[in-house]
Amino acid sequence: MNFTSNLVAMLSGAVSAMTPLLFAALGGLFTELTGMLNIALEGMITLGAFFGVYGSALTGNLAAGIALGIAASTLVSWIYGEITLRLKANEFITGLATNLLATGLTVILSQKLFNTKGVVAFNVAPLPVLTAALAKIPVVGPIFFGQNILAQLSWLMAILSWILIRKTPLGMRIRATGSNQKAIIALGLKPDHYKLVAILFSGITCGLAGSYLSLNLSAYVPNISSGRGWIALVAIYLGGRKPSGILAACFIFALAESFSNYAQGFLKIPSEFVLAIPYAASLLALILGSLSKRRGDQWR
Amino acid sequence: MISMAENKGSNQKNSKLRGLIITIVASFASAFLLLLIFADDPPSALRLFFLSPFSNTYYFGNMIAAMVPLMLGGLGISIAFASRNFNLGGEGQIYAGGLAAVAVCLAFPDGSPFLVQILACLAGAFAGAIVGSLSGILKSRLGVDELISSFLISAIVVLIVDYFITGPMQDKSSNFQTTQSIGQNLRFARILPPSLLSTGLFLGLASCLLAKIIFDRTRFGYELRVYGEGGEFARYCGINTEMYTFLPMGISGAMHGLAGAAMILGTNYKAMKSFSSGIGWNAISVALIAHNDPLAVIGAAFFIAYLDAGAKGLMVGSNVSSEIVSVVQAVIFYLITAQFSFGQKRKTRKPSQADRQSIGARS
Repeated sequence: MNFTSNLVAMLSGAVSAMTPLLFAALGGLFTELTGMLNIALEGMITLGAFFGVYGSALTGNLAAGIALGIAASTLVSWIYGEITLRLKANEFITGLATNLLATGLTVILSQKLFNTKGVVAFNVAPLPVLTAALAKIPVVGPIFFGQNILAQLSWLMAILSWILIRKTPLGMRIRATGSNQKAIIALGLKPDHYKLVAILFSGITCGLAGSYLSLNLSAYVPNISSGRGWIALVAIYLGGRKPSGILAACFIFALAESFSNYAQGFLKIPSEFVLAIPYAASLLALILGSLSKRRGDQWR
Repeated sequence: MISMAENKGSNQKNSKLRGLIITIVASFASAFLLLLIFADDPPSALRLFFLSPFSNTYYFGNMIAAMVPLMLGGLGISIAFASRNFNLGGEGQIYAGGLAAVAVCLAFPDGSPFLVQILACLAGAFAGAIVGSLSGILKSRLGVDELISSFLISAIVVLIVDYFITGPMQDKSSNFQTTQSIGQNLRFARILPPSLLSTGLFLGLASCLLAKIIFDRTRFGYELRVYGEGGEFARYCGINTEMYTFLPMGISGAMHGLAGAAMILGTNYKAMKSFSSGIGWNAISVALIAHNDPLAVIGAAFFIAYLDAGAKGLMVGSNVSSEIVSVVQAVIFYLITAQFSFGQKRKTRKPSQADRQSIGARS
């Protein structure tokens, strides 16, 4: 193994690790734009992961499984949204509720269905790679074309999100819900309506994020999301609430994750510290982000 | 005018009480429903969940013992919430506090027990305070959101403590991932054998009383609440707002650290891997149910300890996993801040920032 092939493997690992973060962050972007901090992402990813892989094994069909994963996380996002908006509950507490619900429910179901609280392996087909023919191109081949269909869908979704937010009336209203709620009310529209749409959208993307995680492993692992919902929140903030910025931020975090996987091999650092790298990277990003913001404020 | 204001106050109190009753009824109903669905033998599972905590001295004492970290952590969250700070790092703070307490006890096995116990509690509180105030300082100095930073810092701290428990501090003679046990002489005295209930209970109860006095009768408590009500008012009152953005996070962390130390000295005697897992979230439930009132924290801690004890009873005697309590707690979290305004006209939702303030409002 020479340096280049190591680097290519690490980069393609990073692009792969970016997928769930990007999905979750794009969903969270919509709620962020409506003025909500969506801390329920973590729980929705967990549910998407469980039902995505379980559904795939049950039906023998990946698409049906992913649909079930999306359905589960979207259903929970709907509960989260209705209680937060209709009953005017505190959104942070209901967000935590969603995370607790996901942890509890997946363990109870796993115990009931598979008689274990631990790792559940499933017999599912790997996610298809549509551009496998192009993967032989050196360097860019494995990094971009060797990725499976869900990874590529996440890139497409970043572009579609940009179009939706910037170029459509719905996107404008979602943005206005967060920045100028009075204008929305003056137009005779309901802010809560757009908030719910944004929450449901985050449910869909978290279903995809979770399905990607579990289908890649062909297994459900407890705590499979391992903080990705939170890291996605930092990515939204760091990416300046723009899809392009979020894409870059997610890639940086994914690179940290991919690097830590490699570092474990040759640096001989304890696994606990390796696991801490993504959290530490997001904390650092959060601090640096607010530093630069502060400096910007002073200059203005 | 005065009567109108009073009227509004009592209305608010009524709606809060109604919300609390609905929440508790819904949490029991959800436990009932989950057991009907998931238990192989629902009647016996229901009996285990609802009655086993009271079935004998052992279970009952353990339930009361479990209240201690919940009271201390619940107070910590109450202080944070009352001042409009979100501390989501309780898990890591309790864990770090527990490890610090073990380290002190193992370092001074032959010291005067009383002094070592005090030192262990201080070390626990100090460790928690460091973790908590880190978020506080980041918030007051750089404007970093304490909600996210406290969660991330806690996640890192949990992994670092994991490293110490499974690495340098591991008990090599044991097959478990745990530190050595602290000496017999350093443990809190048992008060209801054979259960784990110890004199640590008085530490928890005394802390609640003390916190009540500080909240209601001191300048610090007053300023904390004024700051928590939010807005420019606190600044016009001459309150040092920067101090109240980071000090409550530090105190909150210290209370969690103390909770971890109390677990070590009172019930656990050693730091096993993830021994405190879930207690940080439980402490948030306690503070929410208690509406940040230090005396109500005692009752709220009892309620959560009861649910937990029921779940433990289930684990022993049925096929349902104890995580059922996570789902019940999710129901509590969903409903505890909900506003049940039957038949009244609903207003438009307040934006996010108002949510942070509303959690601080204490009736």
